[in-house]
Amino acid sequence: MLRFLAVVAAALALAGPAAACAQPRTSLAYLEGQVMCPTCHTTLDQSDSPAAQRIEAFISQKIDACWTTQRIESALVANYGQGILAAPSHKGFDLLAWWLPIVGVLAGAVVLAFGVWRWSRRREPEEPDDPAGSGLDEETERRLDDLLARFD
Amino acid sequence: MTRRVKTTAQLLALACVAGLLALLVWQLGHQQHAPGVGAMAPAFTLHRLEGAGRISLASYRGKPIVLNFWASWCEPCKGEAAVLERDWTSYRDRGVVFLGVDYHDLASDARRFVSVHELTFPMLEDGSGKVTGDYGISQVPETYVLNRQGRVVLHLAGPITDPGFAVKFRSALAKAAA
Repeated sequence: MLRFLAVVAAALALAGPAAACAQPRTSLAYLEGQVMCPTCHTTLDQSDSPAAQRIEAFISQKIDACWTTQRIESALVANYGQGILAAPSHKGFDLLAWWLPIVGVLAGAVVLAFGVWRWSRRREPEEPDDPAGSGLDEETERRLDDLLARFD
Repeated sequence: MTRRVKTTAQLLALACVAGLLALLVWQLGHQQHAPGVGAMAPAFTLHRLEGAGRISLASYRGKPIVLNFWASWCEPCKGEAAVLERDWTSYRDRGVVFLGVDYHDLASDARRFVSVHELTFPMLEDGSGKVTGDYGISQVPETYVLNRQGRVVLHLAGPITDPGFAVKFRSALAKAAA
């Protein structure tokens, strides 16, 4: 019986840390970069204000309680509003913040490509409209040939 | 064709610059400043910190109001809590309304603060900071005294327990209650 209890105790001791959280714990360091300090308008990792310290303590407490990143962020949003998150949400008007930079980069690439294309075209030697002809009428051409023939 | 493309590109660039300028002007025009003495206090409706329901400033029109902005993580707020509670109990029979606005705080911490300091005047939560922004609050505690018309008669950016502020606060409170 004693041996059985010892085995159970050892198993519990070994399984304890693994069973503490059903999923990998998030970290304070990660969330400090995702959450804003409401009074100083920087992320928590750049702030040492009392409000930031309190939020850090709250996050640590929730990490210890195995809360996920999403759950912690939701709790903070419920208290402080959406502005507590450093990154805008992926829905509604906030989507603009994600898409506008991409649209800007693409538009810039198009403008750049167009500019390069025009620049390279301008540098090509312009070909005459009628490469075969000289642009002179027949009479003038005949007289020019006669003149040139004298120098032969 | 090329000319048309060039003109379109120039117009687009001009539109972008004009848009950015408009944004700058709008931003400058919407910068939040503390309402000065004599100005109307910005209207608001906020959730109660404890219990259900909302409270709007307009519902107290006709009564002098002491509007105190605080947070549970603010050390000076702890010091002035007892003074505010004492003044509230002294002046409530004379029709003065005290409202506490909890600023950028965890609701659970704020409720604990109210309980620990045994505050009995109505408490509102402004977690997002919208109302505190309208009042130009940059630090807590800050206190406004409003007259019966809803105009600011005093704004103290600091604890009312500060020696200089205490005299001004009492004087404004007495005048507003008269």
